[in-house]
Amino acid sequence: MRDLRTIPAVATPVEPGPIPAAAGAWRRIEPTVLGIAGIVAVLAAWEALPHIVTLKEGTKLFFAPPSAVAATLWAMFAGGTVWAPLGVSAAGFGMGLGLAILIALPLGVLLGRSPTLNAMLDPFVTAFNATPRLVFLPLVLLWFGLGLWSKVVIVLFGAMFPLLINTYEGVRNADRLLVTVVRAFGAGEWQIARLVILPNALPYVIVGLRLAIGRAVLGVVVSEFFGSNEGLGVIMVQAASQYKVDVVFAGMIIFTALSLAMTGLVKLVEKRLSGWRPQRASE
Amino acid sequence: MSADTAPQPGVLRGNRKLLLGCLAVALFFAAWQAVFLFVPLDPVFITKPSLIAAGLARLVASGELFDDLGVSAVPFLYGFVGAVLVGVPLGIVMGWRARVGYALDPLMTALYASPLVALAPLVVIFLGVGVAGKAIIIFMLSVFPFIFNTYAGVRTVDRLLINVVRSLGGRERDLYVKVIFPSVLPYVVAGARIAVGRALIGVLVGEFFAASEGIGYAIARFGDMYALDSMFACILVITVLAVLFTEGIRWAERAAFPWRVGQ
Repeated sequence: MRDLRTIPAVATPVEPGPIPAAAGAWRRIEPTVLGIAGIVAVLAAWEALPHIVTLKEGTKLFFAPPSAVAATLWAMFAGGTVWAPLGVSAAGFGMGLGLAILIALPLGVLLGRSPTLNAMLDPFVTAFNATPRLVFLPLVLLWFGLGLWSKVVIVLFGAMFPLLINTYEGVRNADRLLVTVVRAFGAGEWQIARLVILPNALPYVIVGLRLAIGRAVLGVVVSEFFGSNEGLGVIMVQAASQYKVDVVFAGMIIFTALSLAMTGLVKLVEKRLSGWRPQRASE
Repeated sequence: MSADTAPQPGVLRGNRKLLLGCLAVALFFAAWQAVFLFVPLDPVFITKPSLIAAGLARLVASGELFDDLGVSAVPFLYGFVGAVLVGVPLGIVMGWRARVGYALDPLMTALYASPLVALAPLVVIFLGVGVAGKAIIIFMLSVFPFIFNTYAGVRTVDRLLINVVRSLGGRERDLYVKVIFPSVLPYVVAGARIAVGRALIGVLVGEFFAASEGIGYAIARFGDMYALDSMFACILVITVLAVLFTEGIRWAERAAFPWRVGQ
């Protein structure tokens, strides 16, 4: 899957002539300012809504303004009630993603190097990648029971395929000329992999990892919704059934923050690792 | 590119990949079936291909399968069409008006990154278990690929082409019909490919939570009943549908926008 958001904006209109200093500074910060303004505007409208129109009693039950969500979030962290379920969710996330990396990277390299193996496994990879992993949840629950292992398997299923496919693409796109040169100088398969193929595949793997993190978070949420007895997702479902909307939103914010933080971390690593690269891989 | 793959005699080579793929799938099911010649089958834990085929035949013959698929298809269509109708115009405005793009991009990115599935219980409580609730969940999940892909597509529209149309006396309408629409369309279709998968997740989430019919409900119910043959049959149907949808769109992309292949 291609992350189209990384495509640079080539069509931004260019103002002719010199720009005054003040205007230049505004142009630099304009996207940030407008971006923050957009989020603030939505939050403000949300907060103001019950003050402008009177909500029906039934609707009020489902309405949690941002201030209430923030207060709940603060209470969850200050009271320490968030840590235990968060730890459970994080364990499922970490184990699933770790296993996905352990399986997908070697398998991706193998598939990239062996056309026969790739042709044989391709139908399975395509099928698993296209199918929503959620469909296996009842089966996974049947096999692994409620709790950690079901969650790990669902996270693994979700996170594995973007990694596998991207690693495969990266390995396959290795420069044949470089491979031939290194081989001509007497390198073995292992050295070819280390010197040419892995450095070439790295940007692809990183993009795969970013996609995998999103899928893994989704996997944690979904598996906790339907088949778990502890974790942040469980807290959210219970809160929803008790009409505690603020808790649901607080949980969502925590999950989003985790997802964004992990993705940001990966981006940072990518920048450090691929500084030598003249152009960035587009996939 | 493929300097060291010398041309080989035609037909076999062209179909080699397909043949190997079919062979592997056939081997997989044969091995699955054969294992239970040696290992006793525990029907509440695992099933085998012959039983799945029988289960599938039963579901098809009784019409249950098509009833369930039909029930799931309605909210799927509403949610997906809604996502196109909202996502594409929003993406165009975000891409075409730079300030709108600046203002909405972080908000949309945060929403896209958040596990929106988490709102499913609220939606179900608020709108009930009917078509509306499911359609909203599907819409929430599938709208973002449309927004972001259209946004990216509009931003890559060639400024030069626009200037050419303008200086040759083209109107605003010509701009949209002759330049913007053709350059954005491939991005929208690519977005649709991603969105279809997410919409299927929406169907399943909606129906796992609370439903009394539909394909997702059928899977959950057969799981609860330990009817593994029927459950696998439904899983297989969803897998086939998912592959047909995504590969179908991929094929359409290749056929309709050949210049984009390999980008």
